[in-house]
Amino acid sequence: MNSFRTVMSFTIRSKLRSRSFIVTTVILVVLAIVAANVPALIDRISSGGGATKVGYVPGEQDAVIQGLQSYFAKQEKPKVELVPVAASGSPDDALKQAIADKKIRGYLSFRDNPDIGFPDVTYSSKKLLDSDTAESLKAALQSVKTDQAVRDAKLTEAQLAKLFAEVRLDSVQIGDSADGKTEAQQGTTIGLTYAILILLFMSVMVTGQLIATEITAEKSSRVMEIIVTSVSPLKQMFGKVVGVFVVGLFQLVLLVGAAVVNLNLSQNRSALASLGIDFSTVDPMMIVYAVLFYLAGFFLFAMLFAAVGSIVSRTEDLGQAVMPITMLSLAGFYIAIFGLTHPDSPFIAVCSFIPFFSPFIMFLRIGLADPAWWEVIVSIAILIASVLGIGWLSAKIYRTGVLMYGKRPTIKELAKAMKAFKV
Amino acid sequence: MREKTRVQKGELQKMKPLVVEGVVKRYGDKTAVGGIGFEVEEGEIYGLLGANGAGKTTTMRMVLGLILPDAGSIRYFGKEYGKEQLRMLGYLPEERGMYPKIKVSDQIVYLGQLRGMTRRDAEQSLRRWLDRFDIAEYYDKKVEELSKGNQQKIQFIAAVVHRPRILILDEAFSGLDPVNVELLKTTVKELRDDGTSILFSTHRMEHVEELCRNITIMHRSRPVVQGPIKQIKARLPQERVVLVGEGTIRGLEAIPGVTEVVQREQEGYELRINRPEVAQRVLAHAVAQGPVRKFELMEPTLNEIFIRTVGERHE
Repeated sequence: MNSFRTVMSFTIRSKLRSRSFIVTTVILVVLAIVAANVPALIDRISSGGGATKVGYVPGEQDAVIQGLQSYFAKQEKPKVELVPVAASGSPDDALKQAIADKKIRGYLSFRDNPDIGFPDVTYSSKKLLDSDTAESLKAALQSVKTDQAVRDAKLTEAQLAKLFAEVRLDSVQIGDSADGKTEAQQGTTIGLTYAILILLFMSVMVTGQLIATEITAEKSSRVMEIIVTSVSPLKQMFGKVVGVFVVGLFQLVLLVGAAVVNLNLSQNRSALASLGIDFSTVDPMMIVYAVLFYLAGFFLFAMLFAAVGSIVSRTEDLGQAVMPITMLSLAGFYIAIFGLTHPDSPFIAVCSFIPFFSPFIMFLRIGLADPAWWEVIVSIAILIASVLGIGWLSAKIYRTGVLMYGKRPTIKELAKAMKAFKV
Repeated sequence: MREKTRVQKGELQKMKPLVVEGVVKRYGDKTAVGGIGFEVEEGEIYGLLGANGAGKTTTMRMVLGLILPDAGSIRYFGKEYGKEQLRMLGYLPEERGMYPKIKVSDQIVYLGQLRGMTRRDAEQSLRRWLDRFDIAEYYDKKVEELSKGNQQKIQFIAAVVHRPRILILDEAFSGLDPVNVELLKTTVKELRDDGTSILFSTHRMEHVEELCRNITIMHRSRPVVQGPIKQIKARLPQERVVLVGEGTIRGLEAIPGVTEVVQREQEGYELRINRPEVAQRVLAHAVAQGPVRKFELMEPTLNEIFIRTVGERHE
């Protein structure tokens, strides 16, 4: 049997069976399910809480109170419910008492303002930053006031309709090729780009670390000596990298699968729709690019992780040794996050050609900035070339590194030792 | 006529499982192995001795193809190192190690597969070996759950599961209790009798004396003593005498040529002499004082040879 496949399937099997992997995967899937349901949950919690009870003293500004009541009555899920509080003595004391008794959350008081013919209203509440309720009240009051003013002006129905017609502002992204993206598409694209960036980053880091740890563990347990005398290091390294890749992919598919299934549940769908995200508008090319950049990015970083893992002899030293790679991918990720809001900046454009950044950043540009086709091709070509180059270099380092024990070799020592091997 | 003999000789050479010739390995300006050569026959255990850092492990690694020699050649059944050769090699490294969290069966089968066995073959071979060592119940255990001695046995199985024709044992018996040493020693002998060529390194001279026909003693990267153990011993003068009489024997120190007299714990004396002829004088001296129960001219132990060759060169 082909030893590359042997190494690969051994890696996959032992990883899939390990308890830590199973536990992590279950936790991640649960997290994905929870995260997918968050919008709907928030929706439910905020609506399930019902309306905030706001007290008022009857007899004061009845017209306004009536207007407010009819305004809230028309709403499907009113945020505010007005509760009359009978005042026997001082109205203030009665209202405060009502708050203390938890009958109401806050109350309204009015002061005449002859300048605008509408009273100034004060909303008193014990809660800090109860802006949600205040906003609702303000909108309601505004509407009541407009109603009153319009009624006084005696306008015709047609005039009224004109007056209240909503202003429309559509924002469309203009592209060279396509018809451009509508607002819903843009929202979806930004959300999707963001999600894929995070997935790519996480996946590169997690699987990369896994590869490095596996290799260092083999080295520190000295099983490496037997392995390298049984199979060529090159096959072993690539078998391991591909094996961990398959495991990582499996985990990723579970994760994304759980998220997608849950997002497609009807309550989540409507919650997402209210956020302006609609998955049916996703450009399939985005997914193709996502896969492409995921593959290239994964192998680029995985190879580096493998090389570093092969140099280190003890697992304790690994964290420090992978630091530069971690920094590199962190930099790529953060530049991409910056790019979410500035996809057109020349800095982002330059970074989209730098191999270690391009998996994040070119993908971002494709999603948000519509780069020219040749830019995409050049970036991918550079990326693939560097995957091959880094792969070759890593294989050489690996061949040398796996047999070096003791302190971590310096670059000079490594370069010297590397000449002794043909890969 | 001459042509023919040469061909025959060449074929003979070709048949030898392992031929190492003038192998040199340098790391920078430091020489790790400075020109070693030896041959291992089919069904032979070849001893590679030397102090720590003498270059044994580097030599073995070159034989294993882990490191390329800077000069010289290593041939396996007459051929250069290659993929085919990789599969007929078995290796028990000095630094033991298995995957701690993986089942014995999984990892041994994996290692067997890497060396070109089918899964079925590897499984069968593993079961046979576990039975042989009387630890069949460990088939499904994780390595970390086993005792150290049993881990060593598993390690040994890992080296031989694929029936290698050339087996390299680096410090094979270190860290084992006497019972297990005996078990492994018997196994190694059986493998030898089956025709496996074994390259064997150790610090324990009594094992070498028991197992090996030919040895190389390395010192500071160079082979200093080489050849069949018998000849090596014969080359050195016999300088030790064991003498047991009925009673106390006096005045042994006074005999010219006797350099050291040690009263033995149980009975009798052990003497060091500087010339073989002195032995007869010692015997005559003892007989003069009463009956002699035992008189033996000891051949040098490998331990002595080792300490002498390696020690001398330390000076």
